[in-house]
Amino acid sequence: MLALLAAAPAIPNDVGGKYVAGAYIVFVLLLLIYVAIMGMKLARIERDLREVAEIAEARKDEAAAGGETSAPAEVKS
Amino acid sequence: MYGKGLRPLSIATVVMFAITLSLVFFYAPIEADQGFLQKIFYLHVPLAIVSLCGFVVGGIFAVLHLRRDDPRWDAYSYVAIHISVIFAVGGLLTGSIWAKGSWGHWWVWNEPTLVSFLIVFLLYATYYPFRYAIEDRRRQARYASVFAITAGAFVPLNFLAVRMSASLVHPRVFATAEGGLPGSMMLVWCCSIVSMALLWTTLVKFELSAKSAQGQLKRLRRALDAPTTAASSRIAPEVH
Repeated sequence: MLALLAAAPAIPNDVGGKYVAGAYIVFVLLLLIYVAIMGMKLARIERDLREVAEIAEARKDEAAAGGETSAPAEVKS
Repeated sequence: MYGKGLRPLSIATVVMFAITLSLVFFYAPIEADQGFLQKIFYLHVPLAIVSLCGFVVGGIFAVLHLRRDDPRWDAYSYVAIHISVIFAVGGLLTGSIWAKGSWGHWWVWNEPTLVSFLIVFLLYATYYPFRYAIEDRRRQARYASVFAITAGAFVPLNFLAVRMSASLVHPRVFATAEGGLPGSMMLVWCCSIVSMALLWTTLVKFELSAKSAQGQLKRLRRALDAPTTAASSRIAPEVH
């Protein structure tokens, strides 16, 4: 990689070089912004998923506990 | 479902981009007229072309949505347009940078190619407020599809109109008469367009899988909330 970089010609330090670098940097920045936004979205999905899983777990525990207590009551009535 | 094949596609995109960038900077000859500045074209032109094609693809998906009444096609259409708008922003910005370097101005209002592309971009910028102004999901999807079809049909017409217009200050990658790109430049340019198309497809798939996960999560939440609501409605009369 370093050898490749060493062999690579330098970007011409004239007007063209400056603008070419600018255009490619803008493209990379645009991609990075998009990836960052998508990353935030995915983090939110992950958080929501964890929350839903917790609710489901709590519901399951509640149902198990409710089943244990309500079953004898039903038998009595 | 949408995430299927995303990994190989992403790898192919990265590999193709690495090859293309190497070709752009180490293989493609320096253009005689514009010099090093012409390297922007390997980025700007594919961005603009892929975004325009993406708009048309969004229109085709919208046709399929209206024909089959399947919300999946509406999602495809929305995401295709969304990614194309991002590519169009990239095309506008890189084109503007090239214009500054070549013409000395960031924007030239009497150049039909620039102005027509801006019109297309602004047209699609109205897609979001138009879509989200409608609350009913089905109506929103139908109206958005009609918009996508109309605007999608406008894109090639607009392209042809500009192509036939008199002012040709904007350089042409594919010359209408003699000239055009030499073989080596054409090869690099083709690689650029393939990489950009791959990037577009990858981002569309990525966004679709994120949207699908979000939708499934919403359904899961609704399903979890449903028994509580039902239970509370059953409990309520007992309280009174």
